[in-house]
This record gives sequence, C-alpha cells and structure tokens, in this order.
Amino acid sequence: MTDAILELEEITVRKSETLLLDGISLTVSRNEFVGLIGPNGAGKTTLLNVIAGFEPFQGSFRLFGQRETGKRSRASRLRVGYVPQLFPLDPAFPINALEAVLTGLVGRLGLFRSPGGKEKEKAMNLMEMMRVDRLAGRPLGQLSGGERQKVSLARAIIQQPEILLMDEPTASLDSAVQKEVLNLIDEIHRRESLTILFVTHDFTMIPSAMKRAVLLDRGAKVFDGDVDTALSGDSLSRLFRYPLETFEHNGRRFVSYG
Amino acid sequence: MVEQLVEALSCPPIQRAVIACVLCGASCSLLSVFVVLMKMPLIGVSMSHAAFAGAVLGLLLDVNPFASGFVVCLLAAGILGPLSDRTDIAPENVLGIMFSFLMGLAFLGMGILTRTKAGALNLMWGSLLSLSGSDIRILTVITTLLVLFVALFFKEIRSVMFSRRLAASSGVPEKAIYYALLFLTGAVVSANLATVGGLLIFALLVQPGATALQLTYNLKHFFLIAAAAGIGACVSGLFLSYIFDLPSGASVVLMATAIFAAAFIVSPKRRSNKSGERNTTHATDIR
Repeated sequence: MTDAILELEEITVRKSETLLLDGISLTVSRNEFVGLIGPNGAGKTTLLNVIAGFEPFQGSFRLFGQRETGKRSRASRLRVGYVPQLFPLDPAFPINALEAVLTGLVGRLGLFRSPGGKEKEKAMNLMEMMRVDRLAGRPLGQLSGGERQKVSLARAIIQQPEILLMDEPTASLDSAVQKEVLNLIDEIHRRESLTILFVTHDFTMIPSAMKRAVLLDRGAKVFDGDVDTALSGDSLSRLFRYPLETFEHNGRRFVSYG
Repeated sequence: MVEQLVEALSCPPIQRAVIACVLCGASCSLLSVFVVLMKMPLIGVSMSHAAFAGAVLGLLLDVNPFASGFVVCLLAAGILGPLSDRTDIAPENVLGIMFSFLMGLAFLGMGILTRTKAGALNLMWGSLLSLSGSDIRILTVITTLLVLFVALFFKEIRSVMFSRRLAASSGVPEKAIYYALLFLTGAVVSANLATVGGLLIFALLVQPGATALQLTYNLKHFFLIAAAAGIGACVSGLFLSYIFDLPSGASVVLMATAIFAAAFIVSPKRRSNKSGERNTTHATDIR
C-alpha cells in the first residue's frame, strides 16, 4: 500500500514535430510539496497541464489510484485545484473579488444550486486568510496583480482540492508581493495539508515548505531530489548552461552570475 | 407623430414587427454578453454568415430557409467549437477563412438563384414588416430557450465567461456550456434572419453587450442592461424606419450604435478603469 496520489510513467507530449515532454516519470505522495523547476521551454507548464487534465498525453498516469485518460471526470477534477499565472482580465469585466472566489465552488455545488450564506461566509474566511477580505466587493480587474493572485489562491482552496497545482503563481509580481504570496502558499500547505506541485523558473523565489524539486530541461527530467541539492550552483549551472552560484541570506536564496 | 404610431400599431404586420423587435433585441443582446465578455466576435460573425449561407442554400433547394440556416449554423458550430480549443493553430486565421468562405458561398447561391432574389436579399437585410406568424413563434421558442439557459446556468456561465480553463479545472461542465452557447447562437441567428438579416445581425451580437460593458460591474445587471439596449435599439429603429420610411434593419443597427455611443460617453467605468490597466500587462493568457 502506497500513499502516492500521483503516478506518472513515461509521459510524452508531442505537438506537431516538437517533443514537449519526453518520457517523464514522477511519483508524488500525499502532503508533499514538490517544485517543478526549469528554464523557459523546459516543459514545466506542459507537465502541469497534463496533471490538470488540459493536455493530451501518451504514457501511464494514475491519479488517486485511478488510471487517467485524456478525459477527466468531474469527481477527479474536484480533487485537483489549479492556480494559474496572472492572466489578462479586462478591468471592466463584471466580476468582483468575492464572486471570483465563489467560482471555485461552482463545480462542487453542482447544477441548479447557487452559493448561499454558508458558502459566502467560507469564501470571506478564506479571503481574510489571504488578507483580501476588504476587497471582496471590488471589481477583480481593478485589483493589483498580487491581490488578484491572493484571490486566485482563495478560489482554488474553496474547491477543497487534495492536490493544488500552481503554475508560476508569483510571475509578474514585484519582489515584496512575491514573498507575501509565497508565505501564504506556505501557510496554505501547513493549514490545509495539501499536496502541492509548484511550477517556477525563478529559483530565488521558492516557498520554504518546498522540500523536493524536480528539474526539467528540454522536456526531460534531469533531477529529482531535495531542493537544496537541486538549487545548488553546480546543478543550476548545468540546467541553465551558464555559470551560477547560489547562497542564502536570511532564509532567502540569492544567485550570483559568474 | 404619436397618432401616426398609434395608428401603425393597430396594423397586424406592425404588431408582429414590434413583437419580433422585442424578441430579436432580447435574444441577440443576451448572446452579445457572451460575445463581448468571452471576446469571440469572430465566432459571432462567422455564425451569422453561416446562417445566411444556409438560408440561401435553403432558397436554392426550396426548403425552409430557417431550417437550412440552422443546420449550417450547427455545422459551423461543430467546426468552430473544437477549433477554438486548439492551441496549435491560430483560430482567428481559420475563422477569417471560414467567414469569407461562407460569405462567398452565400453570394454564389444568390448568383445562381434563377427566380427572384428578393427573398435572398430579405435574408441579408431582414424585413420586419413581412414576418409571418410562424417566424414569430420560432423566435419566441428560441428566445425562451436562451433566457432559460441563462437563468438556469447563471453561475456556470459566469464561471466559463471568467475563464474556461479555471471553470474546467473546478469541475464545471465548461465544454457543455460553451457548445450550448454556440448552438444557441446558431439558433438565434437563424431565427433572426427574417428580422434584421444575416449581415446586420452581427451588430446586435456585439453592441448591446459592449453598451452594458460601459455601465456595470454586476453580471446580472449586465444581462439586463444589454437586453434593454438591444430591445430599445430594435423597437426605436423600427419606429424610426416607419416614420422616416427608412430600411428597418439599417435603422435598428444605427440605433444600437447610437445607444452604445451614449453609454460610452456617460460611462462611469472608463475613468476608473485607467488605474486597472496596469493589471493586464506582463501577463499570460490562460483562456
């Protein structure tokens, strides 16, 4: 009996003539926090999209012990949360922050049932945890990037997933806001006991709860192990094909370009 | 002028035209909310031309133009839906090709029509004053279906309009909602060929939604404002065309533009949106 909730074997994704993922195998256990790290074009987002059910693939994929094919069942989707990169939203789009959080509950509520007082209270509690409760009535498109990503985290958690997939959730944010969002992600991992897969190309901004890193390069897995070894100067120099050194100061990782 | 209008309203064809205007305005404007918020105007224009081409085909084959227009719309929806899900091709290019192909097909059909082309021209520009009882019945059924769809699946619709991918990831049947929308677009466009026509209907598939976008952040109000703008444009356009003896379809479209322009000028959102523009930079589209 294993507590693995995600098992990928020889996952390959090909678009036209381009090989995006080349036989990736990966097993993730319950409550693990795993980073998928690599340069642009490494296949990180493609791998996350396979796991999220957005991308057709070849190979074997078991999620919660069930074999997954191209079509994802509703029950299975409900167990997998997704936090995307900040995406463009028309500032005039008619949705406020609270309504955006509640969209995370739509699938769980099912057809013909609207969110009531209990659901709204839950959404407000999550928004309070993310420090955006005072923005509940504000149009989402008028919030800052950091505020929108906090709303996005609350939207994903209200779904009550067992795995949370995060696709560069701190990209396009300034450093202070990145750190704030990363602290919230650490808090989510601790409070909700979630399994998290976190995609990033920015190895200086890593949540402290991440203990395992998978390095990807050109669609292939090149390392799978503890995060400190993965983010050592030697490892990153090989990955980025550029001499790099890393050092830590006050719990933050810095990089020096050789 | 009031007496003139009251007298006109006692005439059955005008009564039918007014009812059709309300139904056309309501159905097209509800769809315009999706077209505007999901940024799919090319899909709207392609569907309207598919209906037009199908209806011309119907005239050629001597079958009901609504039925043939609807069938071609469904075929177009069956092609456009999967196409818009593809990530390896630019849907805009294929939509552009499809739109021009359908237009070419419609004009080819009109060119080889041996009998009078008035019927085909009516499908292009619409003819509110020559609507039959069955045209009104079809329009009523389809408008009712669309209103029910919006009312019953409001929360799913909001979720899909916000982001199809996020909706899918949280267990919303987004593909079913999206395809239902495409099919309803086909049905609404086909049913309205007789009212404002296959060319001018595109204006009503965009302008009421664009009008509401200027005025509210509340999605329920958005639907209501769009419907009011669409119905207002259709009814006022009809009366203007009656009073000044103008083509009805063109009057409706010009009134829709005037309503949009008025909303744009008084828009309370435009000023506040300037501060939100920063949020849209340096971001990746996940829709």
